[in-house]
Amino acid sequence: MLALQLLFNGLATGCALGVVAVTFSLVYSTTKLFHVAHAGVYTLGGYLAWSLSIHGAPFVVAFLVAIVVCAGVGALIQALLYARLEHRHATHLVILIASLGTLAVMQNIIAAVYSPNILQFSLPWASTVVAGGGSIRLTVIQVLIVVASVAAYGGLMWFAHRTILGKQMRAVASNPFLAEITRLRPRRVHVYVMAIASAVVSVPGVLVPVDLGLQPYNGVTPLLTATIAMIAGGVGSITGAFVLAIAIAELQNLSLLIIPGEWSIGITFFIFLVFMLFRPTGLFAAAR
Amino acid sequence: MRHIGLTAILASMLAVSVARADTIRIGAILPLTGPGALIGTQQMRGIQFAIDQANAKGGVRGNKIEVVFEDNQAKPDQSILSFNKLTDLQHLQVIFTAYSGPSLAMAPLATRKKVLLVNAGAQADKLATASPYLINTLPTIGDEIAVISKYLAGEGKKKAVILYENDAAGISGRDDYVDAFPKVGGTIAAQEPTQFGQTDFRPALLKLADAKPEVMLVSITAALDNMAQQYKQLGLTFTVAGTTFFQDPDVIKDPAAEGFVHTQIRIEAPPELAAEFKAKFGVEMEFFVRQYYNASQILMTAMDKLLADGKPITGENMHDVIFQIRKFQGLIPLEFKTNTATVPLDINMMHDGRDETIKKMNTD
Repeated sequence: MLALQLLFNGLATGCALGVVAVTFSLVYSTTKLFHVAHAGVYTLGGYLAWSLSIHGAPFVVAFLVAIVVCAGVGALIQALLYARLEHRHATHLVILIASLGTLAVMQNIIAAVYSPNILQFSLPWASTVVAGGGSIRLTVIQVLIVVASVAAYGGLMWFAHRTILGKQMRAVASNPFLAEITRLRPRRVHVYVMAIASAVVSVPGVLVPVDLGLQPYNGVTPLLTATIAMIAGGVGSITGAFVLAIAIAELQNLSLLIIPGEWSIGITFFIFLVFMLFRPTGLFAAAR
Repeated sequence: MRHIGLTAILASMLAVSVARADTIRIGAILPLTGPGALIGTQQMRGIQFAIDQANAKGGVRGNKIEVVFEDNQAKPDQSILSFNKLTDLQHLQVIFTAYSGPSLAMAPLATRKKVLLVNAGAQADKLATASPYLINTLPTIGDEIAVISKYLAGEGKKKAVILYENDAAGISGRDDYVDAFPKVGGTIAAQEPTQFGQTDFRPALLKLADAKPEVMLVSITAALDNMAQQYKQLGLTFTVAGTTFFQDPDVIKDPAAEGFVHTQIRIEAPPELAAEFKAKFGVEMEFFVRQYYNASQILMTAMDKLLADGKPITGENMHDVIFQIRKFQGLIPLEFKTNTATVPLDINMMHDGRDETIKKMNTD
């Protein structure tokens, strides 16, 4: 029964990480930029929803406003920072440093405005226990995280494969030069991608803090795991990033069955290190 | 040789200037932001309240007291920077500290610079011997754990698991449980670490619950409220036991923490004092407020004696005079047989949003 409960907890954690990985992968595969400030957008979403929620806004409204604002912030980062740097022929390393700087600024502003203390949402319904089969116990918010994350993943897959803009995004990701000369306007597509990725990442950005609380530096660890999931899943593969993020979370949880907790992160990433030695292009690279 | 002589002259000039100044300046390096800010703010208010009261009455023998607060976010590296700033740039001789990691980081510097560090909040065992210039006005975790272990054994709770924070204070607590609990006839079935500031305790709680314990011994200092909520969400029923670190107002009022037991240093504020504090700060005079208020009074008693004896207020003199006075009667009867004071201790249980004393004991 312990294994089953750990499995379900891992699923909730992994699905949230999966959305971070999917959106990070979407940005990287389209713009080729290592958008570290994505962690800042993830964190910002939670704080925006918390602010509105404690001022009496219904949670759904707070959630939706956070998504819209995060989309705007993502688009602004692309339009005002990355695009300008690229226009001035800045190397990817320079843009990475700019992204790191943006993350640091966002975290510090959040810490200055809200304090670095752990903040909690006051939503009693969120911690209500939903009895599963046997003695499995999940809270409403954990179930919501799984449902919303799977929906976000499914929505992104549908968007990427079934819409004109999605197809444009994939075309730009596949061959930016050809996209340019066929008037797909890659720079505009990059802004759309950043807005969409930022909006979607704010889904776990809001829901996870409802469960575990808010801290200004919350976003860094999920981003690190998401980066590994993206690479191990196969760069450019949305499904690969999502599945590998869940696999990492499950490994971290289930490894507790046989090893002490302090080794779980180390052992998990060691397994992925070995895996990458044998399949450096990632698990889903061929299925892109 | 000339250099040493010059240093000695400068040092004596500095000491004299401190003794004759109208304002005695002391420092306080506390976590005013970050995961430890709730407690750090209580500590700051305790010091400020005591100092404001003393200054309103004319200070210590006519000398006003001023406290320079530094925020260390409970981080050892930040604490070192703050310590050097207060001692090298502002030449402070007495500094309040809190949290084990930061206090242990500053202890060697306190020894080298002969600056008195006053800890009224951290409890790692190593603090007892970290520096002759570090005095602790509350018992170490080891002292408290010996008491809670004895209580739990008396209640028939013999099979335990340990949840601990993977830092100086948490590991120290874990080691104390591993040492003390078997001595009273108990067994430790499992132990799991967490990180400072971590808020997801579910995997660790599930693994510990699988050992089917009668009690979970806890040695964490942050995010206790998250732990309590997840304990309840998972439907766990074993007793949860800890030390004075459980004295967190948010945890006490949380129904999820119903039945949690812990040791509690017996330090009460007279009703009129508590009312005065509430009128000034708008909040209750919580445990760490009382601790740092009490520690401030100890310092002012020591300063008073030094000034009466015509001695300068240096870290070295403050250290010596505290052991010379030895017994202090502030909010709590307290005795310095070593660097760590001997104090009375209660067993408290959280019930209906209150922290109720169910048994009175002593660290001796």
